[in-house]
Amino acid sequence: MIDWGLAIKTAIGGFGLVFGILMLLWVSVELTRVVTEKIAGNKK
Amino acid sequence: MLLGLLETGFPLFYWGNALMIVIGLGFIYLAIAKKMEPLLLVPIGFGMILVNLPLGGMMDYEMTLKAPQAGIVMEVPMHEGDAFEKGGVIYKLDTGEVTAPVFGRVDSLKVSQGQSVEKGQPLASLITMEQTNQAEVPTHPVGLFSRIFKFGVMWQILPPLMFLCLGALTDFGPMLANPKTMLLGAAAQFGVYLAFFLALIVGFSMTEAASIGIIGGAEGPTTIYVTSLLAPHIIGATAVACYSYMALVPIILPPVIRLLTTKEERGIYMKPSLRKVSKLEKILFPLITTIVVILIVPSSAPLIGCFMVGNLFNECGVTERLNKTAQTTFIDIITIFLTLAIGASMPAQIFLQSRTLLILILGVISFASAAAAGVILAKIMNLFLKEKINPMIGAAGVSAVPMSARVVQVMGQKENKQNFLLMHAMGPNVAGAIGAAIAGGVFLGILG
Repeated sequence: MIDWGLAIKTAIGGFGLVFGILMLLWVSVELTRVVTEKIAGNKK
Repeated sequence: MLLGLLETGFPLFYWGNALMIVIGLGFIYLAIAKKMEPLLLVPIGFGMILVNLPLGGMMDYEMTLKAPQAGIVMEVPMHEGDAFEKGGVIYKLDTGEVTAPVFGRVDSLKVSQGQSVEKGQPLASLITMEQTNQAEVPTHPVGLFSRIFKFGVMWQILPPLMFLCLGALTDFGPMLANPKTMLLGAAAQFGVYLAFFLALIVGFSMTEAASIGIIGGAEGPTTIYVTSLLAPHIIGATAVACYSYMALVPIILPPVIRLLTTKEERGIYMKPSLRKVSKLEKILFPLITTIVVILIVPSSAPLIGCFMVGNLFNECGVTERLNKTAQTTFIDIITIFLTLAIGASMPAQIFLQSRTLLILILGVISFASAAAAGVILAKIMNLFLKEKINPMIGAAGVSAVPMSARVVQVMGQKENKQNFLLMHAMGPNVAGAIGAAIAGGVFLGILG
């Protein structure tokens, strides 16, 4: 017997989590860029 | 005279074995003649052939059949060396029948007619090629490939190590230069969840459906890793579906892209030059990703951790020997073990079932819908972006690194000779690999 409630939670939660984590990584990449550019700028 | 002493494989050879050998030969033909993923299809095809030659013993597991209840042996329908189906009667006791929990053949019979047996007493030693749930039907490997499969695949060693090597080969530069393309890699994971739902609808269990869904992540090691933990009995079908469709990306993706885009959209020009990503950014990315992803989804640690440490070998500049080994010798060794073992996990008795066909159909739906989701999100993003992106790069979110990015490059060139989309497509491509590993980790975290 399929637990459809769990299936829906798994699918929606899982897809949302994948999206959320990659968005978080996007933000972290942008932050890293800003910080590293600042460090490079200070060195110059 | 010699034939009387020698036990040949002919008595146990049946049409299913012949068909599987033809399929194995087909894989080898595609690899050699059509140059389709030869490093994968040659060993997988050869493994399929080997395991379908009866008595070769390459994928054999031994198990002890025990008496489920006490009784007196009334009849022994099987003889040593006889083949039996799953559920076949091995002994008839006065208190009931003793049936085989797997398909296979009788290695040795330990009690004979008229003997009384106690509950739990060993009755026979059986040989099978089936991947069993070890808690219910314990087996131990006695063949070369079954040992590799058990200790390499089922112990979840080879797939993460393969991911480590892929990490060493991956350049995150294009994705870091244009990080919004990460969203396209995320969108492509839609295929995973659509196939998961469809698999449930057609009658697969939750764990089987998750293993089928993850095919859409288009990452062989992720698919094998997730299936080995959730549904090891279908690992041959999911692995073959994943690797076959990765090889068939040039056939699967173009119709989906054409269906969802206009000629003008496919011709959208993207500047070939991307921002130069600093070495520090490239070093920090695998470290940050490891910490962020594993804190949120701990069960993705073996995949994400190995992927990122491999990438760090490549980017840090002080582990050149490790990097070179991971990119060359080590990945070759892992590929040989993994692909031969996967090929050998497909004896006819397991592979030739209607469920396998369903898995293959769901796999192609998963790939196609993943590409479609990537393209659709790219079109939605274009509604808000000043500098439009070519929506075809969304289809490269179907990981299959770097095949799908190459397909986008070729299609882009057909529409506009000035357009070089490869680097732009590599962003969603490698983001798709990360997304698939996270999706796999989520399945394991919830269902494992």
